[in-house]
Amino acid sequence: MLKNLVHWRAGKFLLNRVSRAGATRCLCTPFKNQTNESAALGDAEPAIRKHVNPFAQTTSTPLPDNEVNESKEERDKRLKVLQLEADIAHQEGRRVPALDFFKEHHWAHVLTLPSKSARIKYYAFLWQIEMKKESEQRKKALRAEGTERRIAEMRKEREENTHIIYGLAHTSMFLRIYDSTINHWQNNRLTRAMQFAPKIVLDCSYDAHMTNREASYAAKQLMLCFAENRAHDEPFDLHYCNANFKGRCMQSLERFIPTMHNPEFPMNVHSECFTKLFPKQQLVYLTPHCREDLVTYNPDDIYIVGAMVDTVNNEPLSLAKAKRLGLRMARLPLDHYLQWGSGSGKSLTLNQMITIMLDIKKTGDWNAALQHVPRRKIIDLGTEQAQGRQALNRRANKLNVRIDHLLKYENNRPESTAFATPQKVRQHKDGLDFNLDSWATGKKKTSRNKCEGGA
Amino acid sequence: MYNLRVLRLLRHSLITKSTAGTAMTQSPPYRLLASQHKRRPQLGAVPSDQLEQLKADYFERSSELSNDEWDRVRSTLTDSYKYINDSNVDAVVLGMCSSAEKLPLAKSYLSYLQAQGIKPNAATLGRMLRVYNAAYHTRTLSDEEQAEIVHICDTLQGAHEILDASSCEHLIHGLVATEQHWQRAVPLLEMMKVTSAPSVTAYSTLAAKAFAAEQPELAWRLLEEMLQARKLPKCEVYLAHLAQSAQQVQTLGAQLERLLCFLERHDIVISDLVAQQLLALAQRLPQQLQATTTRLDRMGKCGACQQHLQHVAISDAQFAELRESFLAKVLIRNDVFQKSTPQEVARFKQYVEQTAPYDCVIDGLNVAYSTGNKKPPQQLAKLLATVVRYFKERRKRVLVLGRQHMRNWSRPAMQYIQNNASVFLTNNLTHDDPFLLYATLHSGQDTDFFSRDLMRSHAFLLGSELKAIFRRWQQEHQYSLVTQTQTGQIIVKEPIRYRLSAHKVGNVWHVPCCEVYTVNPSESFEVPEKWLCLSIAPNVV
Repeated sequence: MLKNLVHWRAGKFLLNRVSRAGATRCLCTPFKNQTNESAALGDAEPAIRKHVNPFAQTTSTPLPDNEVNESKEERDKRLKVLQLEADIAHQEGRRVPALDFFKEHHWAHVLTLPSKSARIKYYAFLWQIEMKKESEQRKKALRAEGTERRIAEMRKEREENTHIIYGLAHTSMFLRIYDSTINHWQNNRLTRAMQFAPKIVLDCSYDAHMTNREASYAAKQLMLCFAENRAHDEPFDLHYCNANFKGRCMQSLERFIPTMHNPEFPMNVHSECFTKLFPKQQLVYLTPHCREDLVTYNPDDIYIVGAMVDTVNNEPLSLAKAKRLGLRMARLPLDHYLQWGSGSGKSLTLNQMITIMLDIKKTGDWNAALQHVPRRKIIDLGTEQAQGRQALNRRANKLNVRIDHLLKYENNRPESTAFATPQKVRQHKDGLDFNLDSWATGKKKTSRNKCEGGA
Repeated sequence: MYNLRVLRLLRHSLITKSTAGTAMTQSPPYRLLASQHKRRPQLGAVPSDQLEQLKADYFERSSELSNDEWDRVRSTLTDSYKYINDSNVDAVVLGMCSSAEKLPLAKSYLSYLQAQGIKPNAATLGRMLRVYNAAYHTRTLSDEEQAEIVHICDTLQGAHEILDASSCEHLIHGLVATEQHWQRAVPLLEMMKVTSAPSVTAYSTLAAKAFAAEQPELAWRLLEEMLQARKLPKCEVYLAHLAQSAQQVQTLGAQLERLLCFLERHDIVISDLVAQQLLALAQRLPQQLQATTTRLDRMGKCGACQQHLQHVAISDAQFAELRESFLAKVLIRNDVFQKSTPQEVARFKQYVEQTAPYDCVIDGLNVAYSTGNKKPPQQLAKLLATVVRYFKERRKRVLVLGRQHMRNWSRPAMQYIQNNASVFLTNNLTHDDPFLLYATLHSGQDTDFFSRDLMRSHAFLLGSELKAIFRRWQQEHQYSLVTQTQTGQIIVKEPIRYRLSAHKVGNVWHVPCCEVYTVNPSESFEVPEKWLCLSIAPNVV
């Protein structure tokens, strides 16, 4: 079965490869190398100043400040000085862990950092890890004695038991379902999805525009995309395109999913661009920076989501890419269906995007699909109104003021007025007055028994 | 609502006052009571008020503590604070003794460590050098102390070939406190550059010492280097320079000229301390230097000498350079699709060719939204129309930049704008800032622009050389809307046409002053309150 799968996948790509007549520029190289656009404008410009992000990781172009061919002795010398720096900072009591906490990969990372303040922040991060570890060990030592006692008791009980031991790991009526069983079942569903379901593309070409940390976050979100897609009732055929396997994002993704490259694992990762894999007229780029809303989901279209975490860099890169490739663009109709609060802003993570698309495919209902947007970001008008009314009622009860004649006409503004007095100026609350004769007799209070208070 | 810690402090201070019987300092608890909103202390650091209390506990009483007392201090520190352990307690203790009068305490601590056989680590020795430096500022150090400093420096430098940045800084501070050995600090500054950019204090102490030791060339070189790295020199440098120039009356004029040219070139604003020193110098040597504090009136006239300050205009060549690189660096940058499409840029250029030159270019959206984000469109349009009328009353030609959706704003206001100004509407997706600046630059040196935007990102994208030119041009040409009153009248902030840095008018220097020295002064165009009006007598050879 595996062999067939491999052949089938190879065949599918051959089918999907669209032969284009005429000259087609490969428009999928990273943005930094696009100098053709300015030439098209006809302006003779001096060498365009590259906007270099010192934290971006690039494989082809090295950072202008760091010489890549630094000799080994220089690197060793620099490492020694940095170790001395960390040691002295630790001796001064700053937030730097002790020298024996550092490992090889820590020093490798420290050597790539561009400035002293970056190093200080990294050392503070490692210091926090060290402190947490020490605190864990202290707590463990405290708990160790209690744990030992408990284990000894349990062992004694089990030895003394001559009859069957009933329990989850021993004799029980529950069948144990292993994680791997579920995984196999879900993978099987995914292979069917790869054959029959609509496709969605995750465009991983934004490595150069993300910092290291953002790339790690992106990798985690990509992993969650895969997981949520797999666990859904009707999965998509998910494709990761433009993947740069040496880059930070893909390296982290490989640590999350080590079997990613195995041929039998149902994950499609390509280093080519989606324009090579799928026909252009089917592609729709989902970007928050354009003006057209996605009104109805079209299962024949292949939607593209840009796999970028844009906390630091908020340029409209996906918009620029879609415009350059000449693709259709759309954005989710968030403004139409949701009321955004002043919370963390309108950005959605990748896995939230995928679950929204999954739900809109399944139900066709945007309100149901947009349930996946975190509630803290939006203002839910219904609950807010209810909360407001409750607070008002509580306050009015405290002050013994009647407001229900105002609230009754809340939606009907012309009829309600603060000057209209209710029928009774002051009234004892119904059911709260005490009558000794009828107390605890079980008789219901009727309007005749109620004493209506005057003054 | 006082929290328990503050109560405890109060009680503690009262008790110690009664038992000690002497005048205890009463200020700390009241300082705490004043504001309950303190910045959360960084994890791992000893909170500063507790440090104060510890210092008060142990150090106020005597200038030397016995070995047992040091033992007790050490154990208190390690026990009460989770993050102070054996490896960093020494440095922490010396950090607490960091002021000048605590030098004997520091020395006694070192001798205690020696007595216990504990070898002080590199951080401890570095902090010791800092204490020596603090003491050096109040009195000259004795020969033994200087020898001690040199001994410590030799130890530290001998241990490692290349030292890290903070050790180098400590060493520089230590060596500067000596008389004969401060020259060794200069290569240490170079060593600092291996790991990080040298700090402001390192540069400043070394430059101040170079001035004091009569090596002004070295000092000036260091100052230029500092400003290349965009670090502002501290006040002590200028004070040392003034002190040293005052000793040689013949060259005083030349030295002052050099200092003032330096301030002019780098747009530095001096602090009150330096200004006081200059005034004192002028009082001592009235034949060489006359100085007064003054204020400027609205048109840029000095109150003391009644002269107008120099115009802030940039030269034609600089303006041309700014214009050329603007389109490349800011609008296109790497990717024209990010900010606009090529067709729109071409259309805009054509329009500007046809309708230039203007007197003012208005950023329509920026102006319209100045009073608030959520106003209805007719109010936005009215505000824009009011601004256009402001310029029409002064008979100026105006270009208004906006976006396509502005066509749907209120009809009468937009008609008025169309009739009285040229209008260019971009696509709803494009960034219109660069268009604004391009149109203004294209029209020549006389065109202003109207926007509340500080344009920091554009200044950054132009690069450091052009940034200064851009800032001066921006100061001279930017109108901004302050607010709109209830009656509908607008208050407009006009650009400041005179220079805000130290410069010469005729033969008289005008120097702006600020109150205190800040490491990173803000970039807004505020006129300094206080100015110094200086005239230096020409040298009689």
